[in-house]
Amino acid sequence: MRVTQFSWSENAGWAAPSSNGTDSDLVFFFGNRQVLACGARYHELRAKFPHAHIVGCSTGGQIRNDDVTDDEIAAVALNFDATTLRVACEPASAADRSRACGEAIGRALAAPGLAGVFVLSDGLNVNGSELVAGIASVTGENVSITGGLAGDGADFHETLVSANCVPRKHLVAGVGFYGPAIRIGHGSAGGWDEFGPRRCITKSRGNVLFEFDGEPALDLYERYLGEDEAKGLPGSGLLFPLRIFDPERPQHDIVRTILAVDREARSMTFAGDVPQDWTAQLMRGHFDRLAAGAAQAARQAVDGLGEAHSGDSVAILVSCIGRRLLMGQHTADELEATSAEFGPRIPQLGFYSYGEISPHRVSGVCELHNQTMTVTTIAESAGGPRA
Amino acid sequence: MHKLLARQLAKAAKASGEVDLQALLALVAAAYEQSDADRQRTDRSMSLMIGELEQLNHGLDQLVRERTAELREREFELQAQNLRFDAALENMPQGLCMFDRNERLIVCNERYGEMYGLSPVQTKPGVTLRSILEARVQRGYHPDEPGLYVENILAKVRNSQPYYTEYPMSDGRIFAIHHRPMAGGGWVAIHQNITAQKQAETQIAFMARHDGLTGLTNRSVLLEKMEEALARLRRHGSPFTVFMLDLDLFKIVNDSLGHPVGDELLKVVAARLLACTRETDTVARLGGDEFAILATADDNQQGAAIATANRLLAAISTPFDLDGNVINVGTSIGIVLAPTHGANVEQLIKNADLALYKAKAEGRDSYRFFERSMGLEAITRRTHQSELRNALTNGEFVLHYHPIVDVYTREPASIEALIRWMHPQRGMISPLEFIPLAEETGLINPIGEWVLRKACADAAEWPANVKVSVNLSAVQFRRLCPLDNFRNVLDETGLPAERLELEITETVLLQGNEENVETLHQLRAMGISIVLDDFGTGYSSLSYLRMFPFDKIKIDRSFVHELAKNEHSASIVSAVAGLGRNLRIGTVAEGVETEDQLVLVRAAGCTHAQGYLFGKPCPVAELNFRRLGQRKQKSKVA
Repeated sequence: MRVTQFSWSENAGWAAPSSNGTDSDLVFFFGNRQVLACGARYHELRAKFPHAHIVGCSTGGQIRNDDVTDDEIAAVALNFDATTLRVACEPASAADRSRACGEAIGRALAAPGLAGVFVLSDGLNVNGSELVAGIASVTGENVSITGGLAGDGADFHETLVSANCVPRKHLVAGVGFYGPAIRIGHGSAGGWDEFGPRRCITKSRGNVLFEFDGEPALDLYERYLGEDEAKGLPGSGLLFPLRIFDPERPQHDIVRTILAVDREARSMTFAGDVPQDWTAQLMRGHFDRLAAGAAQAARQAVDGLGEAHSGDSVAILVSCIGRRLLMGQHTADELEATSAEFGPRIPQLGFYSYGEISPHRVSGVCELHNQTMTVTTIAESAGGPRA
Repeated sequence: MHKLLARQLAKAAKASGEVDLQALLALVAAAYEQSDADRQRTDRSMSLMIGELEQLNHGLDQLVRERTAELREREFELQAQNLRFDAALENMPQGLCMFDRNERLIVCNERYGEMYGLSPVQTKPGVTLRSILEARVQRGYHPDEPGLYVENILAKVRNSQPYYTEYPMSDGRIFAIHHRPMAGGGWVAIHQNITAQKQAETQIAFMARHDGLTGLTNRSVLLEKMEEALARLRRHGSPFTVFMLDLDLFKIVNDSLGHPVGDELLKVVAARLLACTRETDTVARLGGDEFAILATADDNQQGAAIATANRLLAAISTPFDLDGNVINVGTSIGIVLAPTHGANVEQLIKNADLALYKAKAEGRDSYRFFERSMGLEAITRRTHQSELRNALTNGEFVLHYHPIVDVYTREPASIEALIRWMHPQRGMISPLEFIPLAEETGLINPIGEWVLRKACADAAEWPANVKVSVNLSAVQFRRLCPLDNFRNVLDETGLPAERLELEITETVLLQGNEENVETLHQLRAMGISIVLDDFGTGYSSLSYLRMFPFDKIKIDRSFVHELAKNEHSASIVSAVAGLGRNLRIGTVAEGVETEDQLVLVRAAGCTHAQGYLFGKPCPVAELNFRRLGQRKQKSKVA
């Protein structure tokens, strides 16, 4: 496999890849919504890579090596020796249709030899948990599903996804990797610290949370954020992620991020389900520990690649916008931490998302995560030419 | 350089490499602001968290206090329950033990340990069943092989089935064990000492087959044995003999000396009967003073039966010394020989009874073998009973009157009423023939009442200075309510009480002494005269005179008949007459048939005489009041 990393900026335009784009099989591209919305960048990519699958999304910030940018496009072109690909997309019409949407993606990609699926999903109109469950119900437990939910900075207004098309809203894209040569590693870690008392989710519906211990959940968040930061909800809500778990299975905890608030109903919408009667605990972040979490995720993904592989490898990072919001100018600390794990041989790119998709570190079940650094590493083992 | 500052410098650098100061300052300021915001957020979080935790803590404390109080209360309840359980366990009369699935003791009560003589150490929780069983073996509480005992019980327990067993201990106690497996393994067993119950059962079983007083077998066992003997007779031709015994005069002893003495007598009689018989014979008490003996017989069945009967008579006629009371009773015996006298139990019993009845009727203190004619006699007796019953209804009785006259004037002082039965077929039947039967059947009462009523009614027509004398038997006296009855009859017939005499024999005074004497006093207080009949024939004639102030005594005819021949009889008659004189009571010599006898009787000092010399008993119509001829007409009181 050959990897070519490149970028776009308003000043410099596309920094052209050194290799011939006609060889590329797959191009990932990540940029802010405003840059992608017009569609021109997609057309330019299509011209450069006429035969490649072109997949991308809007973000809460782009990752290019150790740096995070807001106005540039980070992209990578991949040329496989022995791996075939398929790209599927499905409209995300409503959050309650998320599972059906996932099942459709799964059906489109399910085929003998399917080794992994990389998903880029609309970030605001989808129940990520249900989407991933829908895909997994078709592809089975042996196929890893990684990826993330598209972002829109800290605005939470609209997200865009591209799957061989001009980036548009309410779309879910999935890339299937086939063949025995492909190697996909994954890692996911948070680094957030839970604090304070455990609370019972006494009222919720799907991914909408109403009450902790009989008290409106929004009241609790406003108290912890303080008057000023409370005005910044839902974005400021990312500063206090929520750790939730089934009291019967405390090891299988999930971190959830706020997507929206309803000040009248005093409710909060999260990126994934917050089941009633589960236990919840506020979390807070410390820069060093978040960076350490990112490093842990990177280490897991590198280990997951397994034996030696031929050619290049690439690491696609999907990190939660909440981490960036908290760390601010220290965000680069986590990228330096992951980069240190990858070394000079594995380039990294990615984006800050509204949700991350990866197998759970304990159960291995593919799920939606929040507030994590999720890493997908891709390589090929030594093999013959493409069939 | 701090890496953040390095980054900020890099970000603020222009393309030329020069640092955009403003951009740099903005970045630095932003970093400071973020740091401040972060710090404030942290402080606020910590404060809020501390506050929440304190509240939770407070809530927890409260909860802990409440739960502690709850727990304490539950502990008290549990303790109380445990005490109740302990009390129940330790106060139950049975032993209880509970074992777990590993055959280790969980709990047992003291009673369990006591029952088997086990120490507290041997019965502490955790000890194995085997160790307990071995301890019992060491104490000797096993009826069979010690090794087998332990293994047998372990095998039973390991079967995991509920069972009940009764276990005889080597010291004679009997334990019942109820064994119940528990769900999940282990078991509970209740051990109960049922020795007393078993003894009671044995006792009850014994009493069901034996007489309680004498320990002899009872009627139903006798009948069983007779059936067995009949079966042997049919199979092997083995004959057997049945003796039916009835004590003579037992009733008198019982009534005079009391039931405790009567019971003692029966026990000694039973012992004597056993001593006269072999171990293979069956001696049974049938009830009251009736006994039966079933004896196997060999070749000389009749001879053996006679020998046995004589032994029995001798044994029973030997005086009994009971607590200083010397008692003489005899026995009458009816004997049947099987198969000669019967082929089934019912027949043999009936025939033995008939033979016994005959023995009794012919003088007692003897034995009789069954004869075919006895059956006929029984039939006759039954016929007579039914005829007697009808006789009263049919008016077949008549009264004949026999005068009692003054020895000097020969004037009738009183006239004795004697009942006769004018049987339509058999003609006149003497009271000697039917009175015993009447007493036996209870017909004596209605007959006696008829006699009294008829005699008073007849006497009411006689001259006023002539009394009527009516015989009253002991049976009648016992059953009658004399006072009311006499009052009613006197009122109805219009006879003044002073003209009525009642003749009683000594047996009236023998039974229920004080009560009867009191009744006699009350009758006498009404004006009725009381006469002691058959004086000199009983056991304690003189003592009866002391018991009651009789108006007259009648000297038995046997003394009068021997007056001429026997000096002793003459002395006795004189003595009695003299006694009567001194006591100022009349004396009647019975059975005077000749003038010579009358002379002697006069000479002896008797005041009155009765006998054929003065006429035979005759119907009322034939009475001849010569001197006073005119009958006094008295209106009868309705």
